[in-house]
Amino acid sequence: MSILEYNGAAIIAMAGKDCVAIAADTRLGVQAQTVACDFRKVFKMNDRLFVGLGGLATDVQTVDQLLKFRQNLYELREERQMSPKVFSNVLSNLLYEKRFGPYFIEPVVAGLDENNKPFLSGMDLIGAPVYTDDFVVTGTATGNMYGMCETLYKPDMEPEELFETLSQALLASVDRDALSGWGAVVHVITKDGVTSRELKGRQD
Amino acid sequence: FFSPTPLLSLTMARRYDASTTTFSPEGRLHQVEYAIEAINNAGTCVGILASDGIVMASEKRVTSGLLAPSKTSEKTYKLCDHAACTVAGLTADANILIDQARLRAGRYTYQYQEAIPVEQLVEHVCNYKQAYTQYGGLRPFGVAFLFAGYDSHHGFQLYQSDPSGNYSGWKATVIGANNQAGKSLLKTEYGAKPKSDDDDDAPEEMETEEDPAEEEIRVPDVTEALRLAVKVLSKTMDGTVPSPEKMELFTMTLAEDGEGCAHHILTEEESKKVVDDVEAEAASAGDA
Repeated sequence: MSILEYNGAAIIAMAGKDCVAIAADTRLGVQAQTVACDFRKVFKMNDRLFVGLGGLATDVQTVDQLLKFRQNLYELREERQMSPKVFSNVLSNLLYEKRFGPYFIEPVVAGLDENNKPFLSGMDLIGAPVYTDDFVVTGTATGNMYGMCETLYKPDMEPEELFETLSQALLASVDRDALSGWGAVVHVITKDGVTSRELKGRQD
Repeated sequence: FFSPTPLLSLTMARRYDASTTTFSPEGRLHQVEYAIEAINNAGTCVGILASDGIVMASEKRVTSGLLAPSKTSEKTYKLCDHAACTVAGLTADANILIDQARLRAGRYTYQYQEAIPVEQLVEHVCNYKQAYTQYGGLRPFGVAFLFAGYDSHHGFQLYQSDPSGNYSGWKATVIGANNQAGKSLLKTEYGAKPKSDDDDDAPEEMETEEDPAEEEIRVPDVTEALRLAVKVLSKTMDGTVPSPEKMELFTMTLAEDGEGCAHHILTEEESKKVVDDVEAEAASAGDA
């Protein structure tokens, strides 16, 4: 049993034309037992920046709180908002600080930069980042999610199509994974704002 | 508690004023008192508690036209979503304390997932200042603050702190240059009914008018408090005609969407309107 598979998660972030979307399942389990189906794993940092945290639930919540703390101090001192790239580095730095006793989470960052261009990054539990222009995935069903994304993704999708594609990719991936599913949340971010929707899939 | 220090009138003072951590024979900490004096030469700050928020007005001292400002303000600082402060004194010292306050507020929220109560934030900064009056042979911070904050326990609050680490809560107060003149003006004008109001609803107030001590203080709203703040600043700024470029007006109110607080430094246009209103009021009072 891996500690990263104790609670279960499935998170995908995808880039579209001048927009990004991020989706996560809402299951919280204790190994095989499902304990909650409304557990938040995607967190809004500001109107143009979201972070999805997959892994051990306690660390998911703690890292969210730590990130808000660091972001808040940055904004107070610098009197400006943190860009997604900088935020991604803050997260990477935060994780590497615990290199020999890490937080058991593998996050994805999704946002719009100053020019409203999509920004995506993913990293492992000690902060090694990867930057992509199509999609990033994390959780207990990554094999499924990679397959679905590779198949369904195409570049420059408009927000409505991006939402559909992302939702289908996630729903199909979690069905074959016992530890994720039980509902999902999808956020679509454009320069005009965020649209959030809840999905109801197979409740098993 | 500290009376202003007469300039080294006692030769004994010399021996006891070099070290912050030593009491003088009269039981005073001279270094702390000197620090407080330093602030009496700094740009004035007025703070006024209103029914729907807090107003803080500061005198901006522009030392050179060549200065390129890097921050929004050198007087008003946001500490967290629900608290802000204005500074009188050494800006460099203030920066350290402001960072301390910001860290404390952030850590409190991290630990308790709640907003830090305003008094606790003030007390933390003050305890930090106090340490420099008792340990280490370091000089005290040459800064006085006006803290404005909102919490669910006590609503809007205004606090003042000085280099000694002492703090107190106020309905209205002034720090910095000519603060005594400012405070005396506030004593008469804060809570006084505006002269143009009709006394429709106040037969009781008419009776108690003879006894000012019993008359209930009428808390102004932010708009009125802004005008009062400008009046106070014009008095403390050597009686010169108030001009928007020389003053910084700040308000803190509840955000319209109900989420948190709104911190607002008035634009030059908005400041000008307040100044114009004050001048008009003064002119009409002169005519009457």
